[in-house]
Amino acid sequence: MIPELMTALPLTLVITFVALVAGFCLALITTTLRVVRIPILSSLAALYVSYARSVPVVLQLFVAFYGLPLLVAIFGMADFFTPTVAAMLGLSFYHGGYLSEVMRPAYLAVDRGQHDAADSLGYTFRQKMMGVVGPQAVHIALPGYGNALIYLTHNVALVMYIGAADVMATAHLIMERAYNQYQFETYLVLAVIYSIMCLIIWVIVRYFERRSPMYVPAVGRAKRVAMPSL
Amino acid sequence: MLELKNIKLSYGNTQVLNGVDLSVNRGDVVSIIGPSGTGKTTLLKCINYLVKPSSGTIAFDQLHMDYAQADKKAIQAIRLRTAMVFQQFNVFKNMTVLQNVMDPLVVVQRKSQDEAREIALRELDRVGLSAKRDSYPSQLSGGQLQRTGIARALAVRPDVMLFDEPTSSLDPELVSEVLKVIKDVTSSGITSLLVTHEMQFAKNISNRIVFMDQGVVAADGSPAEIFDAPANPRLAQFLQTELAFH
Ligand SMILES: Nc1ncnc2c1ncn2[C@@H]1O[C@H](COP(=O)(O)OP(=O)(O)O)[C@@H](O)[C@H]1O
Ligand SMILES: [Mg+2]
Repeated sequence: MIPELMTALPLTLVITFVALVAGFCLALITTTLRVVRIPILSSLAALYVSYARSVPVVLQLFVAFYGLPLLVAIFGMADFFTPTVAAMLGLSFYHGGYLSEVMRPAYLAVDRGQHDAADSLGYTFRQKMMGVVGPQAVHIALPGYGNALIYLTHNVALVMYIGAADVMATAHLIMERAYNQYQFETYLVLAVIYSIMCLIIWVIVRYFERRSPMYVPAVGRAKRVAMPSL
Repeated sequence: MLELKNIKLSYGNTQVLNGVDLSVNRGDVVSIIGPSGTGKTTLLKCINYLVKPSSGTIAFDQLHMDYAQADKKAIQAIRLRTAMVFQQFNVFKNMTVLQNVMDPLVVVQRKSQDEAREIALRELDRVGLSAKRDSYPSQLSGGQLQRTGIARALAVRPDVMLFDEPTSSLDPELVSEVLKVIKDVTSSGITSLLVTHEMQFAKNISNRIVFMDQGVVAADGSPAEIFDAPANPRLAQFLQTELAFH
């Protein structure tokens, strides 16, 4: 059973990875549009974020799977949306919108005074973003980003509903073949696989959090001392 | 060398600056005093275009700009020739003390790392922070943060220093270490504009005092004229409450 599940793992990882990268780019563009405020584009970006955050992910996947072929048909292109491609696009879209609501508050949380100082010293907008505001926003966003990645990983399990052969779908295949025996064992193995994936994400994000120059280590904070009883 | 004329600015419906005129000569140390909320910080920010006045003009030596037609080149030129020290320090939180002072030199002035480092170390020595150069802002006291801010400002070799209530956010016991540094800076001959509530200090280091009230310059004169014989009744009242308070 486990070896067979493992054969499906690469696809799960690839879908996750594609959504992670594409979603990040999408979130960066969306956040920029919302922060800079360009008339129509900013409203569209806000509409997109609202869709990605309020519509259940499984529904977003259905919309992607059934909707995208219609969209390309309008432009007279052949339908190239396999379940896997639809899963990648649907999850990228979801993750991008979700992540934008991590990035935007992080950007806004950077103290106004940091902008003032950089501006008054003659930094250009780009220099200010790259050298001062960006790094601080990243530091603020990291914990939220870690959560976004974990939610993404969980939501990849939903792609079986549109027929992509990820670990979840494969597990169901295995159980059905065995006349629905060993369900508990199979789900337990799945749970372990997901736990390990999320643990790895957590460790990586935590590493970057600690490496940030703004990180305040626990020993630097005030220590709690038990009140000596009199 | 610096001349502001008829500066007007409002936040939403509240008119904050109602036509401020202010001129500063080379080598002047001008202290701006006045009640809280009267627009002192806003006025300093206008000079660097951190806020946008609705009207007025600024002249900086040969440079001349009308705020109604703000132009990027002029703004940048003024920003490069002035340096601001903030009430809330505004030290870059993602950089060490040394990096804070070096970064503008490397990024904006395109100096080499070595040259920037040399200048930065000299300025840090001047404000007494050499030992803290590798510390991050989260590890410093308010006084040390403000001295970092002053070193960063000095390092860009500005023609005019703008201090906005540099000691107002500090614990009382940390005020003197910062005032000492400011006194050292202003006595070196650099043109300075200082917003402050430290009346005695302003009297000692300034050659001119400007009293701002309700968005305009209400009195302008030598320390003796302002402190010893205040002609303006609101100024007299302001001084009385300030002196009683301290
Ligand atoms: N960003 C802002 N938005 C709206 N009102 C502001 C803003 N900044 C300052 N003000 C208001 O403008 C007035 C002048 O502020 P400020 O220049 O900071 O005064 P001062 O430095 O003399 O105490 C105050 O009434 C303040 O509440
Ligand atoms: Mg102020």
